[in-house]
Amino acid sequence: MAKIRLEKINYVYSPGTPFETRALRDVDLEIKEGIVTGIIGHTGSGKSTMVMLLNGLEKPTSGRVLLDGVDIWEKPKEISKVRFRVGLVMQYPEYQLFEETVAKDIAFGPRNMGLSEEEIAARVREAAGIVGLAPELLEKSPFELSGGEKRRAAIAGIIAMKPEVLVLDEPAAGLDPAGRERILATIRKYREQTGGTVIIVSHSMEDMAEICDEIVVMLEGSIFMSGSTAEVFSKAGELRRIGLDVPEITGLMLKLRDMGVEIDTIPYTVSDAVPKLMKLLK
Amino acid sequence: MNNISFGQYYPADSLIHSLDARFKVICAFLYIVCSFLCKNILSFAALLASAVILVAVSGIPMRILLRALRPIIFILLFTVVINMFWTTGETLLFSWWKIRVYYEGIMNALFIAVRIVVLIIGTSIFMTYTTTPIALTDALESLLSPLKVVKAPVHEFAMMITIALRFIPTLTEETNRIMAAQKARGADFTSGSVFKRARALIPVLVPLFVSAFRRADELATAMECRCYHGGEGRTRLNVPHCRPRDFVMLFVIIAFGAGLILINIYGVGYTMK
Repeated sequence: MAKIRLEKINYVYSPGTPFETRALRDVDLEIKEGIVTGIIGHTGSGKSTMVMLLNGLEKPTSGRVLLDGVDIWEKPKEISKVRFRVGLVMQYPEYQLFEETVAKDIAFGPRNMGLSEEEIAARVREAAGIVGLAPELLEKSPFELSGGEKRRAAIAGIIAMKPEVLVLDEPAAGLDPAGRERILATIRKYREQTGGTVIIVSHSMEDMAEICDEIVVMLEGSIFMSGSTAEVFSKAGELRRIGLDVPEITGLMLKLRDMGVEIDTIPYTVSDAVPKLMKLLK
Repeated sequence: MNNISFGQYYPADSLIHSLDARFKVICAFLYIVCSFLCKNILSFAALLASAVILVAVSGIPMRILLRALRPIIFILLFTVVINMFWTTGETLLFSWWKIRVYYEGIMNALFIAVRIVVLIIGTSIFMTYTTTPIALTDALESLLSPLKVVKAPVHEFAMMITIALRFIPTLTEETNRIMAAQKARGADFTSGSVFKRARALIPVLVPLFVSAFRRADELATAMECRCYHGGEGRTRLNVPHCRPRDFVMLFVIIAFGAGLILINIYGVGYTMK
């Protein structure tokens, strides 16, 4: 069942001026419920524009965004309700932190939802647990945290709204490997605890291979390819033709196969590849 | 692209776009003087005609130009009304209760309206629409450089304006991004009382200031890393060149002003007092 459905979406920036740019053209897309969908593409391929359409931050120039089969722009005045249902973590979300304490900042979304104080406190604790922020950090100023902690605090601010769909735009960009690993762990934990639908935009094929069930590849404002992670990464040639790549481990395995080594299915994560490689070594 | 998409600069390939920014600043100034030289019907007609020619030469669509007039509509209406009803003259056209409208009043209102419109269109064509803000600042620095003799910090002033202009689009983008991020968390900037709306801006202003200070710090470091030490002995990347067309434009404007003075001397038609 499609949780979110985009129908013939077009999006044009500054129409009618010399700066007019078409960010999305005739995009049709279905996001399935309860799985992790990854969106990949070059800078300027329309990924970030697309995620802003999903929760109604931007309105498509033409076309419809359907959430559970209902057009989100049917009642424009109630668009903020859509934003609570589709939680969007924007790029570099740590720059949106503003409150005196981390806990208050995480509580900003739930408070805007009009929840009771007890409910807010419970949600802040729960969200902090999912992103792995220690309780003593919650009473600190968000500006005292490290880069990775700030990022996770910002993600917790969205998770605390308990959205039906969690959208993350480049959640691991600019973090060190440890920080990146903790973000991925957060997403996995979120999936385990809530079973919610997740959409991730990323440049990193490795990250995508590790956590996505399905992948959408965007090229110049259109959908270039979509399917399960295995399907998409099996088309290494096409991905490389448009200047993207497959995860390094997939590239290695493909090369081995080209050299005549027998490999039945090409893995796309290191953990899947290790047993296959071990078998070959024997 | 974002660096120039603010303000009113309208990219096009026209004669006026290609002029030296310093000449454009002088031309804009002279054009203002010209509009104040007009005193009678013929000179105002010439002024209007010159504005039409300017618009045609600049290659800027009328739709965009009218946008420049939008902020002054109120002032325009106000001056027209004042002139129409408060000018006394000899030929009474219309009178009702205490309101008297004279022929002179109508003409004055018309003249002043033309003057204001031409003034705005002329200066915006010479400066804001066809010159990037950075080129404009450089032109001002160059034109004001004689003041360096009296130790006025002309370069520092120009650098400040350049940096401020440079950061307008950056901070606008940043503001939009932060507003979007807070909207995604259910912030509401458009409803409620004034007080509530002002409060709603806190989640935008705090991160905005934090990032503005961070950027200022980073820029200062970056400038020092490249040995910036003020304007002393600094050469330019884009050295401005005056070409024959710049002098031609200047000459045309001066000739136009002289023509207007001649028209005034011979006084054709109704003359404004």
